[in-house]
This record gives sequence, structure tokens and C-alpha cells, in this order.
Amino acid sequence: MTKARFDELIHPSTRLSLVATLAAADWAEFAFLKERLDLSDSALSKQLTTLEEAGYVTTERRLSGNRRKLRARLTDTGRNAFNGHIEALKAIVDGATAPAAEPPT
Amino acid sequence: MDNIAPDQARTALDAADRARRQVAEEVGLPRGYWWAMAAGWAVLGVLDDLLPSWVAVIATLCFGAGHSFLASRLLSGRRRTDRLQVSAAVAGHRIPLVVVGMLVGLVAVTVLAALAVDADGARHAGIWAGLLVAAVVGFGGPEILRVLRRWVRA
Repeated sequence: MTKARFDELIHPSTRLSLVATLAAADWAEFAFLKERLDLSDSALSKQLTTLEEAGYVTTERRLSGNRRKLRARLTDTGRNAFNGHIEALKAIVDGATAPAAEPPT
Repeated sequence: MDNIAPDQARTALDAADRARRQVAEEVGLPRGYWWAMAAGWAVLGVLDDLLPSWVAVIATLCFGAGHSFLASRLLSGRRRTDRLQVSAAVAGHRIPLVVVGMLVGLVAVTVLAALAVDADGARHAGIWAGLLVAAVVGFGGPEILRVLRRWVRA
């Protein structure tokens, strides 16, 4: 079972959506991520660079026809961090919905 | 972590779930697969109707072998586009069964259509039935698969 661990790097909404998308895929192309997350080229590049510097994402350029396409994939470190972050978020929600303990009499 | 309110956490979980569902929508087979299947269906219908039965049997076996070759690569449903590869965990393991079940169903539809056309007195019932189902596969294959996936929750 994944240990809950809140991750400040992943938590911002755009980055969370990006990491969640990559967590559901083996890899995704830059164009797909840009379209799905509704980001500009520069904004997506910036997010990917941040995640890559943290060791959460790897990118590779592949030749497709005459064009080079960028593929991004989540590393094992990134996947563990994402799973831990999701568990931490669930713990926060569960903590708020759990019945309060009865006060000692 | 202490300064994250439960509502914010729930919103973040919803965003992550939405992203996962968007990727899950990419599960399926490439458009070319459906058109190749449609072309094969039409050709088999013609061969079955116009040529000796042994030719149709060999052609059907070749078609089946070709499909098996493609199936090992495509039927997982994870490579519908070349823009991403859906993870095995998200694609699940039932897509191949759904596709094969769909093809078996279409064979039954082809036979029934041929019998109906033949009973109506039309010539070349096999060709008409093959073309009818080929059109269904070519134009509606992805949509039929999507509906079947929803039905069986695959």
C-alpha cells in the first residue's frame, strides 16, 4: 500500500492534472498534453522542466517523419510521489468526513 | 499539508480523476484497423459469392491469421492514436474479449443478413450482406466498441 505523502511540487492544479494524465499513460506526446490541459507551448514546457528537474518526469525527442516529437513519461519516483499525494489528499478528505471521537467521560 | 482544507483536497482529487478519465477515453483501436476490417469483410463477401468455396475458405483463414497478427499488437486498446499509450492499468484486460465478441456478433449479423436477402430473392446475397456489415464496421466500429465497453464496463 502506498504511504500518504503530501507533495508540494505536484499539488498546484495544472501540475496535478499533468502528472495525473501521465500516471494514466505509459507515455504521452507534447501535443496531446498541450491540447488536453489547454496550455501554451511555453507553459507546458515550463511545467515539464520543473517535473523533470525533480526527477518525476523524463522526456525524449523522437523522429516522426520529418518532425521531432517530444514524449513525456512519469518516472517511478514520479509515480510513487503522485500515488502518495493522492493518498494524502484522500486522508484529508476522510479526516473531514470521519465521525468525531466521543469525548472521554 | 495542514493548510489544505478538505474542500481543496476533494477538488484536487476530482481534477486527478478527470485527467485519468480523459486518458481512459483514448482506449480503443486505430481508425485504420476498422477500415482494414471493413475491406476484409467486403472482399470475403465477394469471394464467398463468386468463387469456389475452397478459395473462400483459404481467404477466410488468411484473413483470420492476419487479424491474429494485428490483434497481438492492437487489441489491448492502448494504441488507438500515436499521441499516447494508455497504461495497462487504465486500459484493463477485457478489451480483446469485447472486440472478439463484437466480431463474432458481426459474423452472425452477416449470416442473418445474407439469409434475409436470399429469402427476398435477390442475387449475390453474400456480397450484399458482406457490404452491409463492412459499412457498419468501417463507419461505426469505434462507436460500437465504445458502447460495448460501457455495457460491460471494460
